[in-house]
Amino acid sequence: MVFGQLSEIINASELALLAINNTNELNKILFELYPILEEMKFTIAVNKKIIHENTPLNHKDIVALLPPFSGG
Amino acid sequence: MTEKKKHKVFIQGAITPTFIADSIAKHSGKTTIGAHDIFLGQVRNDMIDHKTVAAIEYSAYEEMAENLFHEIREAIFVKYDIVCMHIYHSLGLVKTGEICLFVFVSAKHRKNAFDACHDIVEQIKAMTPIWGKEIFEDETHTWKINN
Repeated sequence: MVFGQLSEIINASELALLAINNTNELNKILFELYPILEEMKFTIAVNKKIIHENTPLNHKDIVALLPPFSGG
Repeated sequence: MTEKKKHKVFIQGAITPTFIADSIAKHSGKTTIGAHDIFLGQVRNDMIDHKTVAAIEYSAYEEMAENLFHEIREAIFVKYDIVCMHIYHSLGLVKTGEICLFVFVSAKHRKNAFDACHDIVEQIKAMTPIWGKEIFEDETHTWKINN
């Protein structure tokens, strides 16, 4: 799932990527597909929890790319 | 005695003054309360690169945000001696001058109400996956950045 400004860059709110083992691999693939993402700040949530280090991904995990929050 | 009623945080569009007034009125029966503190966030007509913000369109990772609102609520009840608290946040379009965030804390005494309300607002700004798209008068947009 992709939110905020990132959904404009990826031009979708959802993205299906197969056979990714962990979040480092995910980042690598995303940066290849969308080089501009490397210049952007975002955090990753796996199953609605923000992760701070490389995290293994399973087939059914829901990954979200979250740009800096600006609620309120 | 504390009340931990679950309610939906997100409201489509602006939060109306009538809704806020009704929320206050609903507390008249809770006579252990001696202090309410209310925070209202209002959409400001910021000027960015010579363009004026006309509205903010809010979006959120709703399921994750609802979980976090619940966690914030649980932690606040542990940390402060309050009677009840309510959080409402807009989704979708909110025009300048309209209300987009309503935090309402009630306690026996003012200090807990003030402190808890302040804490909740700061946590919402920092922790919850909500995004504001600032729409300018010419219909172009930029993405809001929280200070």
